[in-house]
Amino acid sequence: MSKRKRPDPKSPGGDLNEPHEKKLLDLIRINQGRGATMFELKREKTIPATIVTRLIASLRKKNLIKEVANMNNKGVKHYLAMEFEPCSELTGGEWYTDGALDLSKIEDLKAKCVMILERHRQRVVTLEVLCGYFVKEEKLSVDQTKEILKNLILDNLIMEVKSNGMNEFASTRIGEVCYRLTGKKSGNGEPRAGAFASIPCGVCPHIAICSPDGVISPTTCVYFQKWLDF
Amino acid sequence: MAMSEFGIVYAVHIITVQFGSVVSKVCECLLRKGPLSSRDISRLAESDINHNQVKHILYLLIQHNCVQAFSIEPPDGSESKAIVQYIVLFNNILHRVRYNKFSRIVNEELGSECGAVLDGLLSNGRLRLGQLIERDRDSGKTIGSEAIRDSLQKLVAARFVERIPSPEPVLGNKDQEPAKKRGAKAAKILKEPETLEERVVEAATPVDAIRFPLIFEEHSNSSLADDDSNITEGKRKQRDVDSSDPSSGVIWRPNFEEFIHRLRHKACVEIVKERRDEGCAIVLRAMLEVGRSQEKKVKTDNSAPMSVGSIYEEVIKTEAGRTMLQERVEACLDQLSATSSYLPAFVTEMNDSYIVDFKSIISVAQKDEIEAVVMRRYGKEAFRMFRYLSQEGRFVETDKIADAALTEKKDTPQILLKMWKDGYLHMQKLAITGTYVPFLLWKVNKLIVTRQMLDEMYHASLNLNLRLAHELESEKELLMLPSDKLEGPLKERVKKVRAKRLLLSSTMFKLDDAIMLFHDF
Repeated sequence: MSKRKRPDPKSPGGDLNEPHEKKLLDLIRINQGRGATMFELKREKTIPATIVTRLIASLRKKNLIKEVANMNNKGVKHYLAMEFEPCSELTGGEWYTDGALDLSKIEDLKAKCVMILERHRQRVVTLEVLCGYFVKEEKLSVDQTKEILKNLILDNLIMEVKSNGMNEFASTRIGEVCYRLTGKKSGNGEPRAGAFASIPCGVCPHIAICSPDGVISPTTCVYFQKWLDF
Repeated sequence: MAMSEFGIVYAVHIITVQFGSVVSKVCECLLRKGPLSSRDISRLAESDINHNQVKHILYLLIQHNCVQAFSIEPPDGSESKAIVQYIVLFNNILHRVRYNKFSRIVNEELGSECGAVLDGLLSNGRLRLGQLIERDRDSGKTIGSEAIRDSLQKLVAARFVERIPSPEPVLGNKDQEPAKKRGAKAAKILKEPETLEERVVEAATPVDAIRFPLIFEEHSNSSLADDDSNITEGKRKQRDVDSSDPSSGVIWRPNFEEFIHRLRHKACVEIVKERRDEGCAIVLRAMLEVGRSQEKKVKTDNSAPMSVGSIYEEVIKTEAGRTMLQERVEACLDQLSATSSYLPAFVTEMNDSYIVDFKSIISVAQKDEIEAVVMRRYGKEAFRMFRYLSQEGRFVETDKIADAALTEKKDTPQILLKMWKDGYLHMQKLAITGTYVPFLLWKVNKLIVTRQMLDEMYHASLNLNLRLAHELESEKELLMLPSDKLEGPLKERVKKVRAKRLLLSSTMFKLDDAIMLFHDF
């Protein structure tokens, strides 16, 4: 008669831990692209905190979960089920590469958008046309194109208008979302330079500690000195 | 709006320069402590000023429309007498640096003779017709008593000049007013509670027929109106400080409200000219002329509705509008009514009538001023974040702001914190169970930002004043020399001082326009 080897109670995937492992995997799966951190998993009352670390290691070895660092806090690791991609909260979003914002790509796309609008400065350009260009030529999604446009609106370089079908909107449908440049380039007025922003006090980082008889005062101020040295 | 610290310091500086430090101590006492009786002022003012001196100073400040006396009716059944108190009129103190703007309006609209009469009232605070005639007689360029009288009449008809308010109105005791039952509809259109200053000014202001009389009486009957009989809440009172000339005749003073009203209109036309075009500005100016007489208060949100016909009739009265066809006027109205993410509508169309949206026009200029400061002080990332939060109008979490503004998530909190420290953003912490650090939520609160900017603008105005005084003081001796006798480096130095004076003065002028944009318009 051959001896049957007793199963090693310490081995991962041992029968003793199977239900807890499944529970842990289910908990991680529920959070989809966000996953769960060690802290969150250990707080779960249905699984003893002492065995969570071992269970995580076991699930990773079995290739059922993966570890993803939170780009906002690299020390915090999230555990995701293999079938899910990390959400934008962890990666930073579509504009992030390896945890860093691709600023030069964003500025380049914004400049291209402004160039398109400059070429059509007496008319407007529809959202449809802009999305068509950026999706085809720059391989962006429609949502990414809209983000670039929203960002240019925040820069006050372009404006969003709704077509009324007349004049510069003649070749567009009524109600269609369109864009055009702001400022004198397209026959629109410009925002004021700002009376307050045009003087040293308006942009001074020390205005809160400036006083008539203080160490920083209008009579001794170096910014005033420079401004009056013309 | 409650007075800010630098608002008070700036107002005290204006009074010090014009009336001296003893007068400004009384003024400062009222600005910091609120309405007081003359005895309390002499007790609390930071200098040793006896009661008689205080009374004379109060007389001077009332003469120059910077202080108003009043009393509150004692409670029913009480044997105590109403005590006369004095309240400072902060707005009127600030108006003192704008007199040349007021003069220009009158000179342009009514001519130089009216301008001369107004200048007399501005420099003396309040005068009778007889005193204006005497002043003209003593001046180098006399225009004659008939011209003075006619000019005064024109100024009153245009509401640039008014009869002085009641010297000591009596306010009803608020605690004793019967509680009024309000229905649901009334509750929705509840007026904001009036400040004490507003109540006092309202109580002191006579009805229009007395305030702007159509027919002038040189003596007797009309002068009775300058006693207490025109008090709206009224009782006759023994005056604590006698502010009127013992000789008869109506006492007149500039009506600052009307000047601010005109400047507000002028500012709106300028804003439309900058943000739209000259044609739209001409049309707006015409609309303001059409609707002006129906505007009951300065800070009105909307004009009365008006038809295209009435607008066109007004447009073609002006030299600039004479060549405009009705079609062009209608095109301008369409432009003014258009909305985009860049500009709101300046005019609303309703049932073939058009209404000027003053609030919208003023808010565009205010936004430009605030955003210009944010851009220059904190940079373009902060500018995007600030604009995003202004559009959202609610609390937003840090990461969402970073996503919208496309800025590095790790840099975003620092940028937001800088703006928050200076009072340009509102911040709230939100602790959520299970997260390591609390969420930070951010919001642009327009009222808070406006107050902060105003205080900084008062501070900047004060700084410009002090710097100008310093520059002139440091070259005082040089400036006393006859300029035609100077040569070489000395001449250059004088030129430089004059250039600095021009720069500082013109900057103060423009900054004061920005202060009016936030405070008065």
